[in-house]
Amino acid sequence: MPPQRPPTSAPRPGGVTAVSSLAPDGLPKPDSDDMCPVCKTIRYLNRDMEFLINPECYHSMCSSCVNRLFNEGPQQCPYAGCHRTLRRKGFRSPFFGDLSVEREVDIRRRVNQVFNQVEDDFNTLRDYNNYLQMVEDLTFDLVHGDEPTKRKAEAQLQQWEAEHKTEIERNRRAGKEQDEQSRRRLAAEQAAARQRRLDAIKEAEEEKMEKIKIKEMEIDSLERGQPLPDQQRVQLKRRGNKAVEAVTNLAAGSSSTADAVGKLSIRGLKEKKKEPRPEGPYDPFGGLDLTPSRYKIHGGLSHPNVEKYRSDKAHVTGGYSFDEYTSRAMFEAFAGLGVFIEDERDVGVGLVASEVVGMGAALAAVGGDGPGLKMELD
Amino acid sequence: MEFFIDDLRVLFPYPRIYPEQYAYMVDLKKTLDAGGNCVLEMPSGTGKTVTLLSLIVAYQMSSQEKRPLIYCSRTMSEIEKALVELKALMKFRAERLGHEEDFRAMGLTSRKNLCLHPDVKREKSGSVVDARCRSLTAGFIQEKKRKGEDVDVCVYHDNLDNLEPHNLIPNGVWSLDGLLRYGQKHTQCPYFTARRMMSQCNVVIYSYHYLLDPKIAERVSKDFSKDCIVVFDEAHNIDNVCIESLSTDITEESLRRATRGAQFLENRINEMRDSDQQKLQDEYEKLVEGLRGDDETREEDSFMANPTLPEDLLKEAVPGNIRRAEHFVAFLRRFIEYLKTRMKVRQVISETPPSFLAHLKEYTFIEKKPLRFCAERLTSLVRTLELTRIEDYQPLQEVATFATLVATYEKGFLLILEPYESDTAEVPNPVLHFTCLDAAIAIKPVFDRFSSVIITSGTISPLEMYPKMLNFETVVQESYSMTLARRSFLPMIVTRGSDQATISTGFQVRNEPSVVRNYGSLLVEFAKITPDGIVLFTPSYLYLESLISMWQGMGVLDEVWKYKLILVETPDAQETALALETYRTACKNGRGAVFLCVARGKVSEGVDFDKEFGRTVINIGVPFQYTESRILKARLEFLRETYRIRENDFLSFDAMRHAAQCLGRVIRGKDDYGVMVLADRRFKSKIQQLPKWIHQALLGADTNLSTDMAVSNARRFFKMIAQPFRTEDQEGISIWTLEQLKQHQRKMQEELIRELQATEEKRVNQQQQAQQAQQFISARERPDSDYEMDEDDEAELMALDP
Repeated sequence: MPPQRPPTSAPRPGGVTAVSSLAPDGLPKPDSDDMCPVCKTIRYLNRDMEFLINPECYHSMCSSCVNRLFNEGPQQCPYAGCHRTLRRKGFRSPFFGDLSVEREVDIRRRVNQVFNQVEDDFNTLRDYNNYLQMVEDLTFDLVHGDEPTKRKAEAQLQQWEAEHKTEIERNRRAGKEQDEQSRRRLAAEQAAARQRRLDAIKEAEEEKMEKIKIKEMEIDSLERGQPLPDQQRVQLKRRGNKAVEAVTNLAAGSSSTADAVGKLSIRGLKEKKKEPRPEGPYDPFGGLDLTPSRYKIHGGLSHPNVEKYRSDKAHVTGGYSFDEYTSRAMFEAFAGLGVFIEDERDVGVGLVASEVVGMGAALAAVGGDGPGLKMELD
Repeated sequence: MEFFIDDLRVLFPYPRIYPEQYAYMVDLKKTLDAGGNCVLEMPSGTGKTVTLLSLIVAYQMSSQEKRPLIYCSRTMSEIEKALVELKALMKFRAERLGHEEDFRAMGLTSRKNLCLHPDVKREKSGSVVDARCRSLTAGFIQEKKRKGEDVDVCVYHDNLDNLEPHNLIPNGVWSLDGLLRYGQKHTQCPYFTARRMMSQCNVVIYSYHYLLDPKIAERVSKDFSKDCIVVFDEAHNIDNVCIESLSTDITEESLRRATRGAQFLENRINEMRDSDQQKLQDEYEKLVEGLRGDDETREEDSFMANPTLPEDLLKEAVPGNIRRAEHFVAFLRRFIEYLKTRMKVRQVISETPPSFLAHLKEYTFIEKKPLRFCAERLTSLVRTLELTRIEDYQPLQEVATFATLVATYEKGFLLILEPYESDTAEVPNPVLHFTCLDAAIAIKPVFDRFSSVIITSGTISPLEMYPKMLNFETVVQESYSMTLARRSFLPMIVTRGSDQATISTGFQVRNEPSVVRNYGSLLVEFAKITPDGIVLFTPSYLYLESLISMWQGMGVLDEVWKYKLILVETPDAQETALALETYRTACKNGRGAVFLCVARGKVSEGVDFDKEFGRTVINIGVPFQYTESRILKARLEFLRETYRIRENDFLSFDAMRHAAQCLGRVIRGKDDYGVMVLADRRFKSKIQQLPKWIHQALLGADTNLSTDMAVSNARRFFKMIAQPFRTEDQEGISIWTLEQLKQHQRKMQEELIRELQATEEKRVNQQQQAQQAQQFISARERPDSDYEMDEDDEAELMALDP
């Protein structure tokens, strides 16, 4: 398939080594958009001419040239002075008009895959900025540097990759996750907006229908010769309800979206869920503490007068524990603690004074002989 | 005249006052005392400006702290008018008080209007004047001169440095002309005099943009103290001003020029690296430290400022990857190339900033953060490189501003790419609209910063729409009616033609011959009976053209021609100015003329048709916006989503404010009179949305007229208005003398007292009643009350027990 050639183009031997308009960095000028630099076809003759580049050397040529030259297998680049061997598989259409930018972006893609740390990885902003600048310097060396600097930068890149392998992998995953999250959020927002829009349309429609209905009713009632104030009142009420509903809906909607935004926008600061505390045994008193706070009870009451009955067969029967007696004696002894006799005497209620005195004596007797009962008086 | 409002002594420079002016002052004072915002609507032509100024000046002078006033208006002529009023007011005050007050007021406008430099002022375009002025006055130029280098400087500007920096100009009210004259006399630059003295002024009068456009506001208006009183006059379009100040359009051409600008920058950087490495290094170090170059002399002439950035971001250092000059230029180029690629798409795209940023990151590895610093960084670079031909970098600046905005705001903005100019166009001419949808964003800093913001206009109905759209709270929100001694204007709604067919400019019927003929006959009839001028407004240029061509075919224009001269507004400003001039001449000659204009055009906004220049105004059709516009659609959607304003509500509000603007063109005072015709069936349902003063004058019988009824009504009106009418008849009704004002004040006071007494009495009565009731109840319930109490107590004790 011989390419069409404009009659005015300068005859070139072979027509394959042709580069006339080169920018200083060896790439074609960005706006030579209308003529293929290889076969000199102009857009006027071939309206859907498409330019392709090969990221080996970024020399652009039209798709028919690519077909013609590289169908048979790898070939040298047709540009003068470019000795790279190109394959057809490597050709693609460029994203940018300016091919130097295309090349830069390709390099950046590679650099970015290695240097993908984010602000959270640094302690201070300054460190982060220095890191950014280091990356940028490296990229610049790769893009604009001469051979030795390029090689050096390349080595640095590989070194960094080797050193920070795990971090890179982690950040890549985190970045992907974040992208996914933001995409999902966007989609959700759009869906919500669409839903709201539909609702609004429906509401408007309903209102319209209602209006028509009311009008018809009015006419009907006029026909019958009686006004219908009730219906109108109902109508008003309904509209009021709707307004209230709308307001509450709005409030709910805004709060929920605010929540969503608040949750999603903070990355890495999510609070870990706490495990539920293990449930203790059932407490019938609901946490009420029955242990006495004013005093402590030691082992048990031991008194020679009591001890001797402990093993006495006459006093032991089935179902009766001797401790019952002692604990009861103890309870009775201390039940009066915290009761202020002086006050109660004044009032004249409660125990008879003599009883109190007797109890005090008993207490003293027990306390004296007992195995060191202590009381807190407060 | 001189009177007191509460205990504030107000000097009003006229012997009489309108009742609504007094009411306006009272509400204004209430707002200032409370320290909040307000929205006030006062009929056009009732002396709004002088009312405002005299109250606020009185307020300033009486208080200790002297809160300065920032008065923003829309056009140059309005600014001039306000200055003249202020001058008269101050003269009156001086006469009354017997001494000149320590008072300084000034107007500010662009360099173009205030330049005295013999070469620069001859330039036609404002941006060229700006650029040339900068190249003569920039800080580094002065430095060079000090070093003894031979550079061009502006002698007017340099003389300012020899003066006392806080007293560049004596006290007094300086109109723009006055500033120019003073500057000429003393060989000092009026523009910079005004700029530098602004913070020393009691009153500053300038255009909206100096406060609302964040790119300008930061430079011009940042020195004002927090307690300033801000007034937006003629503020009915304030939301559009806000939106425009944050929107940008990017075309292929501007991108091409931006690329060239980036190329220049690169060359310049290379040059500088060879000759003056130190400066670049200095800048770099400053950026590393996160310091902003904010010394005074540079701020004034800086090339641009960044659009609203959050405060915390401003304190942060510039990101590391755009710190070095060449990195930054490469960054810019990448961004521009990306935009160019996007522009090649041949279908309409509308996307939100987050999705744009995601796409950008995917293809160019440009992150959001450096993008945000773009404008800031460019300013710094331009300053460092000491560029003089700044106009070359204008497109680059636009791109940088766009970059900053798109990275700063997630909500309230939308990117719309339109590859073709119209639906039928074949040749692509892509435009990337970056539109602001939320008017509240631009005005938010104003509300945040200043405690009292007053929004006022002749037509700002419905009032509650503005706080909703601009997202602020008001203390007072009031619309005043117009007190009239006689019916001096006659609003009518014409819904049918003489043949009883309904007339409307609805899309389906607007070009039907019967509708067009009916509109034609309406015009002919009014041309017959109206003395002097008639102004006719149509919704769009397109419809105006089709009307004219159809009228020509029907012979309507020939008929009108017998009575009046016909003039037409065109999109071309100069042509329109000429037409307007001719129109005025024709009206003065007595025969009168018809001016056919467009409701959203230049004539409907700024031109007054007072007295004989407008005796009838005919509004053909409701001036709705072009609803197919994608930008408008996006905005409507945003309003619905964010502020719960329904599409139809907003469209009709917007149409009616423009209609009201048009109607307001002909009544410019209380002595003025005229007929207002609203010719469309759809106006009937929109009466409520007219300003209160028009709405009140519109009688129920006049809301559904046919052409012939309207004409006979108008004829009667003109006869009535031709009866002799003396000023004395108005006194006490629409004009108050001092005595009448005092009487009114007394009455109000009495009423207030009576009201207070009434409420007091009511309160006392209620109390007594309550007491009596209590006594009655307790008396009745006493026998068994003891027991109940006991039980209650017990229950309470039980509850407390555990």
